[in-house]
Amino acid sequence: MASIRFVLKRIALLVPVLFGVATVVFAILHLAPGDPARVIAGQRASAEQLEQVRRELGLHRPLWIQYLSFLGDAAQFDFGQSYSISRGAPVRSVLLDRLPVTLELAILGQLAGIFLGLPLGILSAIRQDSLTDHVTRIGALTGISVPIFWSGPLLILAFATYLDWFPTSGRIDSTLFLPDSWHLLGRELPLTGLVTVDSLLLGNWTAFTSAVHHLFLPALVIGIYSTALISRMMRSSMLEVVRQDYMRTARAKGQGARITVLKHGFRNALIPVVTIIGIQFGTLLGGAVLTETVFGINGMGLTIVTAIGALDYPVVQGTVLTFALLFTLVNLVVDITYGYLDPRIQQ
Amino acid sequence: MAVGRTATDWARPRARIVGSALATGALAGSIAVAVLALYAEGTLFGTRKAFALGALAFGFGLLGWSGSVLAGRGVEAMQRHLDAAGDWTEADSRRAMARITGFGFGAMLGVSATAALV
Repeated sequence: MASIRFVLKRIALLVPVLFGVATVVFAILHLAPGDPARVIAGQRASAEQLEQVRRELGLHRPLWIQYLSFLGDAAQFDFGQSYSISRGAPVRSVLLDRLPVTLELAILGQLAGIFLGLPLGILSAIRQDSLTDHVTRIGALTGISVPIFWSGPLLILAFATYLDWFPTSGRIDSTLFLPDSWHLLGRELPLTGLVTVDSLLLGNWTAFTSAVHHLFLPALVIGIYSTALISRMMRSSMLEVVRQDYMRTARAKGQGARITVLKHGFRNALIPVVTIIGIQFGTLLGGAVLTETVFGINGMGLTIVTAIGALDYPVVQGTVLTFALLFTLVNLVVDITYGYLDPRIQQ
Repeated sequence: MAVGRTATDWARPRARIVGSALATGALAGSIAVAVLALYAEGTLFGTRKAFALGALAFGFGLLGWSGSVLAGRGVEAMQRHLDAAGDWTEADSRRAMARITGFGFGAMLGVSATAALV
């Protein structure tokens, strides 16, 4: 009962958060200098032409009407049509087109963070003050300190330009094309939009290796910070857990060191790390904006950067709200997971 | 709600906080329209920018309030755990954010009313 109330409370709190984000985005866009009508009609457009464009876009209406209309539409996940970057196309379809690209990058970055960060953190903790520990800690500190806009170009320069091991941009070789659907037991099903998953579903190994080859560097760049933070958090959490009485009791009862750490220590040390992984997902989405720009990957990040430059209000609003929705949903999942890992939290 | 307290006892201080902020915001919104209209690019510009500023305060307050409810107790616990207790409390944060939200919403209402009158 307590857990259901806990989950319902978290879900109810999503509404003011999303409402707040929608309002802030609307306000900032309308406080920013520039006129979308001028961007669309061009610098030489006459006053009449500008007025006509404003009427077509609904920008001539009082701001409070625009605000209410935006909130009503946003509640139905309808952000209207793109002003300029995909002119006339519904923003929803632009977002659905680009969302899998960003999600794939964020998921790959998160996986890199989890699969590298957790073992490194455990290793560092159980070999405290050894050479392994020092190297891991210095590596983690470096990973946290290095910004994506620096590590991205540096890795491109090293591994793509000089060594020629990886391509500099894109998600898949430009000569390869994936269809829009796949067949399972005679039924036609839509693909996910994640190139690595789609190529596996289609059984196209050439496309899969090409996708992994193309996405390795961007995922590494996005995953560096995640790996560093998770390993640091795991180390400190594990150090705290290994000093607990139940760990000593398990060892005293004759259980091996490895089993004690993995069976009793790991799950308890994981509790604070799970929270970091959830919050980290938001950073990964933010990192996707820079990574996609650096690697020329046409996802939500590159879309929002282009849309801000073009004063494409509906696309900016839609993209930011989608980011906010994803972030809050991931945190909701983390809160629920957290409750299961530590039942005291649900009380 | 504590035992023995009626709904009125619970609602009155909250309504006072939000109501006073709402009234202040409405007044500030009307003044902002006049100032921006006089010293900037006309009434339309003034109402738009003043409304957007009010919306910014409203949205910020709403996000802050939700954040306080979501994470406030965690922050209090962390302060206690780290023995770095400051004066920050979840209840104070919620009250402050409710004031900002009320002020922003009041400004939005004030600007809209002034624009309709002008």
